Amino acid sequence: MNDMTGVISRATELPWLWAGLTAYVLATVAAVMGILRAQVATVGSMAVVRTHEKFVLLMVSMGVALIAIAIAERWMRLGHGPFVNLFELLMSQLWSLGLVFAVVYWRVPLLRPSAVVALPMMWVLGGWVLALQPVDTALPPTYHNDWLWAHVGLGKIFLSFCLVGTGLAGVILLRNTQRFASWFRHVPADEVLDALAWRFMLLAFIFHSLMLTAGAVWAQDAWGRYWAWDALETSSFLNWLLLGASIHARLTYRIPIRVGAIAIIAVFVFAFITYFGTPFYSEAAHKGVV
Amino acid sequence: MTHRMMNMGRGLGSTRLALVGMFLLAIGAALSYDNPAETPVWVLVVPLAFLAVNLLAAIATNPRINRRGGLLVFHLGLLAIIVLAGVGRLTHFDAQLEITEGTPFSPSDLTNLEKGPLHSGALQQLAFVQGSFTVDYSSGMVRGLTHSQVLIPDGQANASGGGQGWQTKVVGDDRPLILEGYRFYTTFNKGFAPILTWIPEQGEAISGTIHMPPYPLFEYKQDSSWTPPNGQEIKFWLRLKTGLREDAAWVLNGKTATGVLVVNTGEQRVELEPGQNVQLPGGNLRYDRLTTWMGYKVFYDPTLHWLFGAALIAITGLATHFWLKVGVRVPSSHAAGSPAGSIGRLQKMPETTDGRFL
Repeated sequence: MNDMTGVISRATELPWLWAGLTAYVLATVAAVMGILRAQVATVGSMAVVRTHEKFVLLMVSMGVALIAIAIAERWMRLGHGPFVNLFELLMSQLWSLGLVFAVVYWRVPLLRPSAVVALPMMWVLGGWVLALQPVDTALPPTYHNDWLWAHVGLGKIFLSFCLVGTGLAGVILLRNTQRFASWFRHVPADEVLDALAWRFMLLAFIFHSLMLTAGAVWAQDAWGRYWAWDALETSSFLNWLLLGASIHARLTYRIPIRVGAIAIIAVFVFAFITYFGTPFYSEAAHKGVV
Repeated sequence: MTHRMMNMGRGLGSTRLALVGMFLLAIGAALSYDNPAETPVWVLVVPLAFLAVNLLAAIATNPRINRRGGLLVFHLGLLAIIVLAGVGRLTHFDAQLEITEGTPFSPSDLTNLEKGPLHSGALQQLAFVQGSFTVDYSSGMVRGLTHSQVLIPDGQANASGGGQGWQTKVVGDDRPLILEGYRFYTTFNKGFAPILTWIPEQGEAISGTIHMPPYPLFEYKQDSSWTPPNGQEIKFWLRLKTGLREDAAWVLNGKTATGVLVVNTGEQRVELEPGQNVQLPGGNLRYDRLTTWMGYKVFYDPTLHWLFGAALIAITGLATHFWLKVGVRVPSSHAAGSPAGSIGRLQKMPETTDGRFL
């Protein structure tokens, strides 16, 4: 018990993290309320209804800024970036997902309604990080390498684009249910959302490829082999194949939009398991990590 | 190309076959997970060869690929990666090495050798001498950076200039020693090695080292044994003073470490300081001094840089295709909140040439 108290009292980053997560929660609440107001609005009142979008963007941006402070606080305290344990990985992922989603939310107005799907997914990470102890970590010797930065950064962009695609896919599936059909009646047609979602998945595919390349260079430097079929390598390669196959299948078979949406969500779920499930079935994310 | 060949090419290069190849590769990858050494190599080779043929045929016959520069480059890059990975496996070399401080590298010291059937490297030309090393540890015995000194011949990294001076190089962790394409990576395996001289009652004296188990991993078990020629087995235990601390940062340094060698023949137990000796059945054993050994992983693959280049070119091709043909911009008429009647159809969405958005 004393140990746990000590760990928490040392973790000066926690208040900033909690504040950041609160901002994400407020953004989600605002997004849902905006959608609920939109379902009863007429076309003429849409401009008024859409004022919530500014608040959503503000809250997500604020969450990103607060989590950035939390990461910086921990970084200064421990002397290394958020690369080692699950607490650090989740915290940095919350930051990068929020950052990319905020930029896309700002630049691509079409996908803003998907915030009601995408933001709650970040809660999963948020709830998880709160359940973990912010145990101090030491940077393994193989992590003193610039390619680690490239590998991790590119992976975060990949997952963020997957989240954007999944948000849109979620809207496609939800609007086709009786319960949520009215939520998204002002949202563009499925074909438009589908096209946009797959474009983000293609972007995700590009960044996934870059992540694998950067990871292979790092692995060569760090462990003297660029590929060894360890848990994370295998899982991320399967994820790359799944995404590549989904893109090919969509082109070849002209699969129905809803099936395509399920494929997008499957890719995201696989990526999620790759990133955050691996620690449960592998002693170290990458073998030889310490 | 004849019409018949073209049709055959289209069949071989179809996207459906690409999906079959990907599925087979996924199965191969899943089977290789965590155990590539004991997984039959064909589970990966067959789907990769299948995909290589499919890619080649698609590049040659599919206008959706060969008429779009970016996609063409991407698929050529993928094909190059498959071919290079194959060449890499045919020519690769992997091994482990334990080398004593102050001794030159000898290929005969390599263990756990694995090499491709076409490997024809220049192992015999490699020359370096192992120097001392230090390893940083932080509190809780968490290993930090390794700094391993090696001496390599002046001006060039091979033995052809024998008789020249040596230059010192520090390697460790992600900074391998690279000689003629062979990469020597330090590992967590390192430890102490007492230098011993055996002076038999008859014959010439011999000197050598005994590599004790890795330190500090087996700090509690620094023992080994040796049987001298025409003698009986001698058991050794090394009692070390290294400054090891579990509750604070410390540095493992062979230069400052000291060790008492406990010699046990079953009938006799003697503790030796460096320079001391003991008379044993069959001869005299002298404990000259304490030194260290470093463990390396040796890796050779001539395709490494080519693979990296091919991957970058492939991804650049895909990114170019995305930038020029796809993009994520959507006409403002499709923005959220537009009248439902106008956004329910794909009036102005830019399409790619095959009528798809992707």
